[in-house]
Amino acid sequence: MPPATHWVVTASFTDDGSNAYRRADGTWSRALAEAGLLTEEATGKVHAAQAVADEQRLISDPYVIEVHASDSKVEALSARERIRATGPTVPIRRPDSGLRR
Amino acid sequence: MYQYDDHDRRIIIERAQQFRGQVARRLSGEITEEEFKPLRLQNGLYMQLHAYMLRVAIPYGLLSSTQVRRLADIARKYDRGYAHLTTRQNIQYNWPKLGDVPSILDDLADVEMHAVQTSGNCVRNITSDPFAGIAPDELEDPRPYCEIMRQWSTFHPEFANLPRKFKIAVTGTPGEDRAAVRFHDIGIRIVENAAKERGFEVLVGGGMGRTPHIGAVIREFLPKRHLLSYMESILRVYNLHGRRDNKFKARIKILVVALGVEEFRRRVEEDWEATKTPELELPDAEVARVTKFFAPPAYEKLPASADQLTALSLGRDRELGNWIKNNVVGHKVPGYSAVVISVKMPGVPPGDVSDTQLDAIAGVADRYSFGHVVVTHTQNLVLPDVKTSDLAKLHAELVELDLGKANVGKLTDVITCPGLDYCDLANARSIPLSLEIAERFDRIDYLNDVGDVSIKISGCINACGHHHVGNIGILGIDKRGEEFYQLMLGGSPGNDASIGKILGAALPQDAIVDAVEKVLDRYLVVRESADERFLDTVRRVGFEPFRQAVYGDALFGAAAEKGAE
Amino acid sequence: MQIIRKREITEDDFVHVPDGAPLPEGGKPIVTLARYTAERDALLARYSALGVRVPPDKLPSDIPDLARLALVALEFPKFTEGRPYSIARQLRDRHGFEGELRAVGWVLRDQLRYMERCGFDAFELKPGKPLESALEAFGELQLTYQAAADDPRPIYRRR
Repeated sequence: MPPATHWVVTASFTDDGSNAYRRADGTWSRALAEAGLLTEEATGKVHAAQAVADEQRLISDPYVIEVHASDSKVEALSARERIRATGPTVPIRRPDSGLRR
Repeated sequence: MYQYDDHDRRIIIERAQQFRGQVARRLSGEITEEEFKPLRLQNGLYMQLHAYMLRVAIPYGLLSSTQVRRLADIARKYDRGYAHLTTRQNIQYNWPKLGDVPSILDDLADVEMHAVQTSGNCVRNITSDPFAGIAPDELEDPRPYCEIMRQWSTFHPEFANLPRKFKIAVTGTPGEDRAAVRFHDIGIRIVENAAKERGFEVLVGGGMGRTPHIGAVIREFLPKRHLLSYMESILRVYNLHGRRDNKFKARIKILVVALGVEEFRRRVEEDWEATKTPELELPDAEVARVTKFFAPPAYEKLPASADQLTALSLGRDRELGNWIKNNVVGHKVPGYSAVVISVKMPGVPPGDVSDTQLDAIAGVADRYSFGHVVVTHTQNLVLPDVKTSDLAKLHAELVELDLGKANVGKLTDVITCPGLDYCDLANARSIPLSLEIAERFDRIDYLNDVGDVSIKISGCINACGHHHVGNIGILGIDKRGEEFYQLMLGGSPGNDASIGKILGAALPQDAIVDAVEKVLDRYLVVRESADERFLDTVRRVGFEPFRQAVYGDALFGAAAEKGAE
Repeated sequence: MQIIRKREITEDDFVHVPDGAPLPEGGKPIVTLARYTAERDALLARYSALGVRVPPDKLPSDIPDLARLALVALEFPKFTEGRPYSIARQLRDRHGFEGELRAVGWVLRDQLRYMERCGFDAFELKPGKPLESALEAFGELQLTYQAAADDPRPIYRRR
């Protein structure tokens, strides 16, 4: 199946700021792969607005993003959302990575 | 350095307690994100791309070794073992959990530190010359006035909700601006008038961001005692009249341009005449009280440094010699030098320091520099008071810590914002470019041949990477969801301030560092002599030779066309 | 409706009168600055205690007969609106206004201390926000550095 454009509702978890993706049942996952795929952007906007009204606590700042979904994976369309979904593309400095010894 | 008294201490402790309550109310759902956002921003807590980010204030960049150790502790305990030096002399943590932030603030308060007003539409951390207090060309140490203004701006009730953020910088060296005061909302230069009295020259409306401006002088000489009343009047005029309908037009520079400098000055002076009460005047005793904290440390009587420095820089150890030439800065006291520790090396995001390095830097500061460290806006660290006779030993220790790069002020000493790897506002990544630059030009002979040149990279128009004032500036932009980069030449932040201009069409990520190399190679060909700095060559010959070098051949022509779409 | 006045919860004795609505027989109305400007003489003659509601783009000099007003209500259309803080200080410090200075609109507990220090003494919280716990805000950040409407002396005259 060729990739098809879908929409996904994303937000940040309030406790640690990590990515939240809305599942089809309305709960929130940390993985884009588990997101509920929507065929209409407008539906996503309704869900996002509903999430603002419902979720005063669990998640913050919901919005809609565009994704390509195929059988094997879901990938965000914009560079921003791809990096957001996978983490920094540069080395994260571990405690001793800078030392020669 | 400044030591808190009971009043200062209690304010910071009370603030940490207050924030604990605000966080609890957010986590319980009592307040919404929309309501919490301005509260957390007033306390330096952002929501970034992957996590929260906490920005800790380092007033005018100055740290004690005790504070550096505490920053290391926090990185270990609450974050991922590192911290990031910012372009405003602050430090930030990229991975704190919301529930941990109040405890981080308690730990900071313990060593007289905080995150107050490190973001939000208020007066931000006040920055200064990283060589304040030790520069041979300094007229007067600016730090006491920075500290006095830090206190004045902390929780100022009238100016906590300005139209936009507000940045103040102070320099005490009128001849050499190392604090970029012309690019701040308010820039202050300590000057001497014809009667040999010291006072302040006040500039307003400088800034980078979307519409870069060089600040205009609003008052040539302000007697010192009026510092705070005058600041209040500038801020009041801005608070009342600055634009609030469009956040991209809300900075004071836009108001100053819209009104004209003359009208802006008239409004400030009118307010000032009506509000400068005798109580607001800064008493000599208060200036003296604060100045005492910045008294010189117990320097030894030593012979002048010049001969030792010459010997070291020409010695057999070439690594040391290059480091002496590039990273060691003159000091006003004979026998002492200031050392810039480069936090720019291949494989490491610029400005990232690990907890072990921070601990080691604290140790080095204790042994070699009276326990003081300064963060620079170029994302490096300064040991301000090192005995010149200790330099070789210190260098060996820094090399062991992977902090011995001899590249300060050179090509690979790149200023970089966090960009799209971390930042919620970014359009493009910045750090991968600086890593590529660090890797490709990691040849000391080439660095020395090219000489003093600054590369500054911002991942979006907000210009945290100061690209407008880079000799070479790189600005990341978004083209239909993909990252592209504009190349700019000719910027400078200092006394010869200028704003860089775009060389040509934007380039894709895999072409931009090639383009930088072509610009540099062309510079090496067209410069008059090895003494002509890159910036001077650009100013002399203009953009055409560089435009040809970058866009002349077919490959770049095609890439550029793609970028121009 | 309940408001906070001088750090206490109290029943509001003023009543907001929207433009176009009929004026009350007696009592203490708060009218908009536009209506006040148009009907000033009649309003001042009719009510012994009159309040005026001022949007954030007006300056103290836009409010005529300030000394005869019992109340000025400054509007916060948004949480981040900052102009009323400066307007309040000007009303108190430069114009010597001694009546009630009330914050109305998007007013939340975390702004109350800042507002009070600028000269506000009465607060209408955003609808739905608890007044009781908002009072705690006055106990936060007790120590200050600046001269403001609450104290003309900056910290260096108090240390």
